[in-house]
Amino acid sequence: MKTLIEATDLSYAYGAQRVLQQVSFTVEAGEPVALIGPNGAGKTTLFSLICGYLPLQSGQLQVLGEQAGSSALAGRLGALPQDALFDPAFSLQSQLSFYGRLQGLSKVAAQQEAERVLSLVGLAQHSQQLPTSLSHGMRKRLSIAQALLGSPELVLLDEPTAGLDPVNAMQIRQLIANLSGQATFLISSHNIFELERLCGTVLYLEKGVLVRQGALTQQAAQQAGCSYLTVVLESAVPADVSQWFSQLPGVTEVQQVQKHEYQLAYNPDIAADVDLQLLQLLAGKGWRYRQLSKGLSLEQQLFSDKTRRA
Amino acid sequence: MSRSNSLWLHQFWLFARFEITRLTQTPRGWFALAAFVVVWYFLLRYPIYEAAVQLQQLQVQAMLTQLLGAVGLEQLLRWPLPELSVYWLLCLAVLPLAVLFSAADQTCSDRSRGTLRLLTLRASREVIFLGRFAGQLLTQLLFIAVSLVATLSLACWRLEGLPPLAVLNSVSLIIINLLIVLLPITALMALCSALAKSSRLAISLAVVLLGAVAGGLGYLVWQFPALEPVLDYLPLAQLPEVLNANDWSMLQHAWLPLLQTVVLLLAGLVVMRRRAL
Repeated sequence: MKTLIEATDLSYAYGAQRVLQQVSFTVEAGEPVALIGPNGAGKTTLFSLICGYLPLQSGQLQVLGEQAGSSALAGRLGALPQDALFDPAFSLQSQLSFYGRLQGLSKVAAQQEAERVLSLVGLAQHSQQLPTSLSHGMRKRLSIAQALLGSPELVLLDEPTAGLDPVNAMQIRQLIANLSGQATFLISSHNIFELERLCGTVLYLEKGVLVRQGALTQQAAQQAGCSYLTVVLESAVPADVSQWFSQLPGVTEVQQVQKHEYQLAYNPDIAADVDLQLLQLLAGKGWRYRQLSKGLSLEQQLFSDKTRRA
Repeated sequence: MSRSNSLWLHQFWLFARFEITRLTQTPRGWFALAAFVVVWYFLLRYPIYEAAVQLQQLQVQAMLTQLLGAVGLEQLLRWPLPELSVYWLLCLAVLPLAVLFSAADQTCSDRSRGTLRLLTLRASREVIFLGRFAGQLLTQLLFIAVSLVATLSLACWRLEGLPPLAVLNSVSLIIINLLIVLLPITALMALCSALAKSSRLAISLAVVLLGAVAGGLGYLVWQFPALEPVLDYLPLAQLPEVLNANDWSMLQHAWLPLLQTVVLLLAGLVVMRRRAL
């Protein structure tokens, strides 16, 4: 599989404040990659280093086989940077066409490409407007459009759905899902449910240190010989439901994580079909459920240890 | 030519040409054009036209020749048209200051707005910096050419006919030498624009830099008179010689502004490469 980003011992400091410390990771071509971390974890700094907005201080960073910030990446790397605005004096169409021409497209091809990406984000009918006449959500979609211009191999999206209404956020998620076969996305977001739906791999940064990197599905399926089921029930269930669940064969622990949400830990070597038995129990008791999922959610994987410690 | 080199040149031309687009297709550009028309209408109608009429009188010519000769500017009256004498004097006096303002926003607004982040995904910082600089020169060339055409039209209207070869020679001389004079100021503003967050700050920075360099060198020369030749290397130091020339010999003074331009552009490139976006 082609390696798109290769970071080795990457460190960065703003003055005395160290923001990234010895961060090493690789991003392979394929499914979208989630970049997660609390505020101040160093996500945006890492993004800026990959895009070449910040000069490297120490470590190595190869993007698409080139040094980060190299002009050879022009058109191959797309990005939605945080707080980057378009020139307020020119229409969306003219600016995107100009960007397309900078990427080496002919005048006609650049105009067609601008129309294509504006259509992708639902802004085709606003192509002749100035960026200042757009709402916050529309500007965000415009920024996503420029990131997709010219079909880049790697697209970095920093908070792609922040500030968008639910309908537009869903459209952007669908867009990313649809395009994920054509480009590899690296997405930074605080919306963990969004990342869980979109991404196959996670990079988790905390205080400038990469504390976790790996495939989401593998991590969710198995953790140290223990598997998990999460069931969300309708409201009308008896209080002793946890006891019933714990009596299922192979179940080692039942935890009520939210009001009607239960997490069952079980040993798959003893009972691989706990999900079927659970459904039979629910049907037999007449308890209705809203959702049943295998494995731990990304949120539980990342934060459950911390919550338990707290 | 390799593909990367041809793309670099293509991008350079796109950035340069975009400054003309900015001038002709944005409200800010239209205001600049309107201001240019108004200022040049008054310059042509009063100083240039009136001076040209006065300079036709032999008594005035004799008096001015004597007066200008005393300050070493006797060549100023020897342009083929009196309008060109006044035009040359006005341009050398006004344009460097005008460029200090008009060329202040080469990259600073785009940096503070974040637009440079979008541009650097597609083009190197170097080509953005140099392309914008070239765009400023293109704009200046356009302004100089239009104002020269207006000045010649005024002369045509006043006189029956113009000596075509002499006028063509003078026009070429004026355009090339004015651009050479404006090069280091434009490069200085490119550097200041790379350093500052707004055009206003860039102008202030340029004024402070020019003042500090001139003041510092002046103090040094006062302390150590042997250093006086150093003052000849200041920006626009060649202006008195250029002002008192009306033929191609004035190009012998071009090395200084060209050298200053190269130094300032190199400094600007270093700033552009190193600054965080």
